[in-house]
Amino acid sequence: MIYKHLNINKLLTLLIVMFSFNLQAQVSADAGKIVFKNYCASCHNKNMVSAMTGPALAGVEDNWDTTENLYAWIRNSQAMIFEVGHPRAIELWNEYKPSAMTAFPNLTDDEIASTLLYINAVADGTFNIPVGGAVQALDTAVEESSNGWLYALLLLILVLLAALLTRIINNLDVLAAVKEGKEIQQRTLMQSLTSKGVVGFLIFGLVVLAGYTTVTNATNLGRQQGYQPDQPIKFSHETHAGINKIDCQYCHDGARRSKHSVIPAANTCMNCHKAIKVGSEYGTAELTKIYASIGYNPTTDKYMENYEDLSTEESKEIYTKWIEDQYLAVTELAELDAEGKDVVRTQWDGIVSSLTNEQKEKVQGPIEWIRIHNLPDHVYFNHAQHVTVGGVECQDCHGAIEEMEVVKQHSPLSMGWCINCHRKTEVKFKENEYYESYSQYHEDLQSGAKDKVTVADIGGLECQKCHY
Amino acid sequence: MKDNTSNIWIGGKDLTNDPEFIEISQKEFAEPTNLAEDLGNEEVAASMGGNRRDFLKFLGFGLGAATVAAGCDIPVKRAIPYVVKPDSIVPGVASYYSSTYVSGGESLPILVKTREGRPIKIEGNIYSSITHGGTSARAQAFVLSLYDTTRFATPKMKVSGEWTSSNWADVDKAVSVALDSAKGVRVVTNTVLSPTAQSAMSEFTDKFDGTIVTYDPVSSSAILDANEQSFGDRVIPDYRFDKADVIVSFGADFLGTWISPVEYAAQWVKGRKIKDIRNPTMSRHIQVESGMSMTGSNADNRIMVRPSEMGAAIAYLANKIVGGVSSPALNTEAKAALDKIATELTAARGKSLIVSGSNNVSEQILINAMNNTLGNLGTTVNFGHASLQRQGSEKELAVLISDINSGVVDVVIFNQCNPTYDFVGADALKTALAKVKTKISFATSNDETTDMCDIIAPTSHSLESWGDVEAKRGQFSIIQPTISNLFDTRQYEQSLLSWAGSSNLDIKAEQPYFDYLKAYWKKTAFASQSKFATFQPFWDSVLQDGVYEVGNSSSIPSFTGNISSAAAGISKPSTSKVEVSFFESISQGNGQFANNPWLQEMPDPVTRTSWGNYLAVPVNFDGVRTFVGYNDLVDGDLVDVTIGSKTVRVPVVQQFGQMAGTVSLALGYGREFGIKGDLVGVNVNDVLTVGKDGNTNYYNTSASITNKVGKEDYFSCVQYHHTMGVKAEEKGTGDIINADEAATVFFDYFTGVKGFQGSLTDRSIIYNSTIKDLKENVDVLEGKRAHAQHLNAQQIYGGFDDTYEMGHHWGMNIDLNSCTGCGACTVACMSENNVPVVGKREVSRHHEMSWLRIDRYYYGDAKNPNVVYQPMMCQHCDNAPCENVCPVNATNHSSEGLNQMTYNRCIGTRYCANNCPYKVRRFNWLDYTTADLFPANQPSLGGEEVPFGADNLTRMVLNPDVTVRSRGVIEKCSFCVQRLQSGKLTAKVEGRRLRDNDVSSACMTACPTGGITFGDLNNKKGELVKKNTSPLSYLVLEEINVRPSVTYTMKVNNRDTSFDA
Repeated sequence: MIYKHLNINKLLTLLIVMFSFNLQAQVSADAGKIVFKNYCASCHNKNMVSAMTGPALAGVEDNWDTTENLYAWIRNSQAMIFEVGHPRAIELWNEYKPSAMTAFPNLTDDEIASTLLYINAVADGTFNIPVGGAVQALDTAVEESSNGWLYALLLLILVLLAALLTRIINNLDVLAAVKEGKEIQQRTLMQSLTSKGVVGFLIFGLVVLAGYTTVTNATNLGRQQGYQPDQPIKFSHETHAGINKIDCQYCHDGARRSKHSVIPAANTCMNCHKAIKVGSEYGTAELTKIYASIGYNPTTDKYMENYEDLSTEESKEIYTKWIEDQYLAVTELAELDAEGKDVVRTQWDGIVSSLTNEQKEKVQGPIEWIRIHNLPDHVYFNHAQHVTVGGVECQDCHGAIEEMEVVKQHSPLSMGWCINCHRKTEVKFKENEYYESYSQYHEDLQSGAKDKVTVADIGGLECQKCHY
Repeated sequence: MKDNTSNIWIGGKDLTNDPEFIEISQKEFAEPTNLAEDLGNEEVAASMGGNRRDFLKFLGFGLGAATVAAGCDIPVKRAIPYVVKPDSIVPGVASYYSSTYVSGGESLPILVKTREGRPIKIEGNIYSSITHGGTSARAQAFVLSLYDTTRFATPKMKVSGEWTSSNWADVDKAVSVALDSAKGVRVVTNTVLSPTAQSAMSEFTDKFDGTIVTYDPVSSSAILDANEQSFGDRVIPDYRFDKADVIVSFGADFLGTWISPVEYAAQWVKGRKIKDIRNPTMSRHIQVESGMSMTGSNADNRIMVRPSEMGAAIAYLANKIVGGVSSPALNTEAKAALDKIATELTAARGKSLIVSGSNNVSEQILINAMNNTLGNLGTTVNFGHASLQRQGSEKELAVLISDINSGVVDVVIFNQCNPTYDFVGADALKTALAKVKTKISFATSNDETTDMCDIIAPTSHSLESWGDVEAKRGQFSIIQPTISNLFDTRQYEQSLLSWAGSSNLDIKAEQPYFDYLKAYWKKTAFASQSKFATFQPFWDSVLQDGVYEVGNSSSIPSFTGNISSAAAGISKPSTSKVEVSFFESISQGNGQFANNPWLQEMPDPVTRTSWGNYLAVPVNFDGVRTFVGYNDLVDGDLVDVTIGSKTVRVPVVQQFGQMAGTVSLALGYGREFGIKGDLVGVNVNDVLTVGKDGNTNYYNTSASITNKVGKEDYFSCVQYHHTMGVKAEEKGTGDIINADEAATVFFDYFTGVKGFQGSLTDRSIIYNSTIKDLKENVDVLEGKRAHAQHLNAQQIYGGFDDTYEMGHHWGMNIDLNSCTGCGACTVACMSENNVPVVGKREVSRHHEMSWLRIDRYYYGDAKNPNVVYQPMMCQHCDNAPCENVCPVNATNHSSEGLNQMTYNRCIGTRYCANNCPYKVRRFNWLDYTTADLFPANQPSLGGEEVPFGADNLTRMVLNPDVTVRSRGVIEKCSFCVQRLQSGKLTAKVEGRRLRDNDVSSACMTACPTGGITFGDLNNKKGELVKKNTSPLSYLVLEEINVRPSVTYTMKVNNRDTSFDA
């Protein structure tokens, strides 16, 4: 008894020591995680490999010549750019200006080191939340991966043991039978393997496995994170929203006032592209599609009357002439050469294939974009609620659209993803008079009983907020 | 039988404790379907009972199908933007346009809700001084008729007896050829309310020397004739039911169908609301009729007279009031009652109103004489804003027939009317029409008359048209298009003007008739006003408001009718054994709405039948508790009714309040055309008779009814569906107890406690009182509520009040005194919430899907009972019994007090529906709206090729904000959560607190009498909380502690019980 008691005490002491060690740990990925969450996560993507407002942080140490410079950069980036003029700093500034990184002069060396540790761990995919806590993230990761082998080994031993025991029991049975004078036929290995028990167990295992696979796959059915289809027009969000810094809501004008963000109509494009007729990236080809859709003659700078009634041949004449002119202007030729003819033909074919389909024979009429973000019919989502009332940034759900040449679905758009955000996101409680009816929460905020009110607090997790 | 006033019953089966009825209501589900049938194959279903093998087969198929489906790629979806986006449209945001619902002489100013340019919902226009924003079931269903799949897609011409699609150029050519050589031209139409259309029509008739023939599907021509003789003005007066303390109606269903029911209901209800409990006042409403009409069901006292005695009754009262009128024989009960009424009327001089639905000129003159003597002219009977809602006379059609027969008519144009079906002389008209060279129809879809025509020039639907309406003199409303023409149609006004070669119509204009309309308004309304200096702002303001009103001063006319000759002209009572009265049904009119499934499925308020007309037979009282239908007929029996020379086979429905020796049958059924109206009910227009004065009589004295000849296959009467409490006789004691209480008797035996928590003794479903006993009954109510609350407080779990004290707590108040049972809310609910239509067969199996039903209860004297209507929908209980039993938590409670139903989580166990004490949960037994992956099990409504809910045209009416439910899930009233969310969002975007008018349920805005109030219970200053504090308010089934969020108010009537003596 005493022995046992001692043992437990020892264990407890050990645990306490380990725990306190953890509290005092100066440099750890865990501590780094907290720093990252508090200071970095608003601009840097937490997956470390893709950029958000700020660059991806994976391999950040390799990008800098010395650790001192990196630390200096983190504490005051502006100084590194304008006062020191460090080449890496200037490179970053050119890439991300005008947004500059916030200065964090109060971060200690340990905190920065921890953060870097955390960043590397996440980037390597080796960061995991440790269970016991005392060990550093990297070590845990190593242990975690070796755990798998351990389990396999254990399983193997168990199976062997089971086989051994079965064998022994069998033998004992046989012995007993012999003793009692009964004739018994010992089963061969094949017979044992094909016995009811084994087959039944295998079938059971298969059913469980199939069920598990079915459920996992069924959950993912209809989800298309990363979906990046080719669009009828090679519209570059990078060019428009990134380089030219056009506000998202200039084109997606529904986002602030409607459930739909609204794919802009061709006449919205024309607000600019009446003047900008040749593209920087794809030349005339893609812009001509807009003109062919809406019926704008770029040669004469006029919208055509009765464009709807024109035959495909007639519209072809107008737009091939424009493409031809552009080709001649660029190449400074007087007449179309063979390559020019080829350019005109491919560009016109591109227009036709982009603007027509089985139901729509003519190039005239709307551009049929491929819809990327699809929600099931039983989900109600309202952009205005999130953009205007909640003040959510477009990028929070759609990712760094301004860097996407071709748009892809950034978020899973799964219910779990929605719910998690509702749990975390703070409601603009004090700013909006609407929330005054939540009197108790206002009192709690006043008294400090509550530090923030999340969407979940005001019913944001309830079914009928999104399903009706 | 004088039963005590607390005795409430839903029909004979309830009153007689019918064992079959009790059994059905005890079952979990009245008539569950079998598996094979649900899977879509009715033939297979018929041939087998559904066994284990079939189950495995279907299971296997289901698994295989799901695997195949899962293996498919996610389909590529497209987002198609506008090419040039109109400024007024923001995709995802609804736009509202003011317009007018119009069908013949019926009209209501409305707002049309459109989404992405597609009309999806009708709301009332609150600026209208006629309706004050109220609507009717027909107006609510108007939007569905736009997407009617039977509409003509092109103009058509008959080529050697076959209809062939044509185009407008050919049609115009053919018409002008016919018109140029025509001797006589006639335009047959129902009442045209549009002054501009009238101008267009007269341009046409002037050009071709034609005549306009106006008649109404249900005639009110006797009133017009009588008013011409009495006051020298051929109009319907501007009645003011709100100014009348005593209202006597001789068979006029003015709350349901007569002239302008929405307007009258809004006026009538003003005198019916209890404003001050301590000193309650209420108007008196007495209805004289044979069958129970909706208006009669709302009356304080009903006096029963046979249809042929109506004249005698009017004459009897006229003699009492005016004098000098000799009256034919009349039943003694009616005489005694009329004596009392005469006293009441005389006491309320200038504050009474007598109306009559009779179509006998003499009788209407007597009515005018009485109103004159009682000093009602200028108070309750006005001519300033006289009604123009009925202008037709069937005599004009009779003249047309004789003109055709004498060979002076070459061209007849039918303007959206169907006289070969709804005209009393339909057969004569049909024979005559064969002699007319060219017959043209403007109909939007095929009907009996159009099928006889040679050319169809389909007019656009009102929601695609420009126009105006002058429903009452000086009270205009505008019709503006809310969608461009769905089909190759043209407004009939434009057709007439272009055929007439009018110089006022610029055919080359983009919208020729729009310009014509504006020009007409510039010439008339704009010219006579002084507020606007230029036309455009004037027009814009008219369009925005949707209504335009000009003052109309008119002196009170003097009565010039001849009483003595009128007394001689009244109809004489008949001595036949059975008389049948024909009435216009609330949903079908006289067949105009046969193609509208929403209206077909809406149960009649009184008989509670749908999809057909049912013969209402009287219930004989025999002994203490036995009620026998006429000829021992019970609900659903088929009988042959011989009326005049025609025999029709109709199902029977027992009707309390139907006078012995009389039966009633609805008009407007048995239409031959239109998929959904196909052979629904029987047509009885051809057994109507014409009176001596040339007007149609809506009764027939020579009827005979056989005994039961069969049983109706699909008896779709919802009377006994979803009942909340059924009484039964306790074995042994013979006491009447609640049927499902039998189980608790066992406990009574041991505990000696009756009515413990959870048992349903003494259910509080309806509380009622007469105005005289109001104080006593309020005390009784208070006591019962206190008792229930005391019991509820004994529970071991705490209250729920603190849960909802923040944010919103949605609730509703329903004033039973305001509810007339009209059904506008039920159709509004279907429209708003994509509630499916299931068809006759499904309704007969208790599968109707309506989220909001209007329960009709009788109370009082079983021989001549009063009626209370109770709109019943999900009560959003804060202690909901449905929520606890759901195994997958698909129904649960929100922090705003909503009982949420999550379709995508529901697995269809139906436990919740079984556990709901209010029986408001509906299960999708079949794929009613084609939401399933494999469309195989939609019900067929009437032999249509594509099932109703599957047709892409019909689906345009769906509300995009509400999920279309698939088979196998439960659904129910959501308190219009989509409207709540959008109201909240508006407030949030504007950064302000929620106001009362931000949120409203569809039923609330549809109600013509303001009977439903929706709001936030946490808004202590709001209208809802104010109404809930009335001592008349109560919670249905409060004693079972489910804590509903819907409050009802006690039904109060002003019955004079001395009438029953």
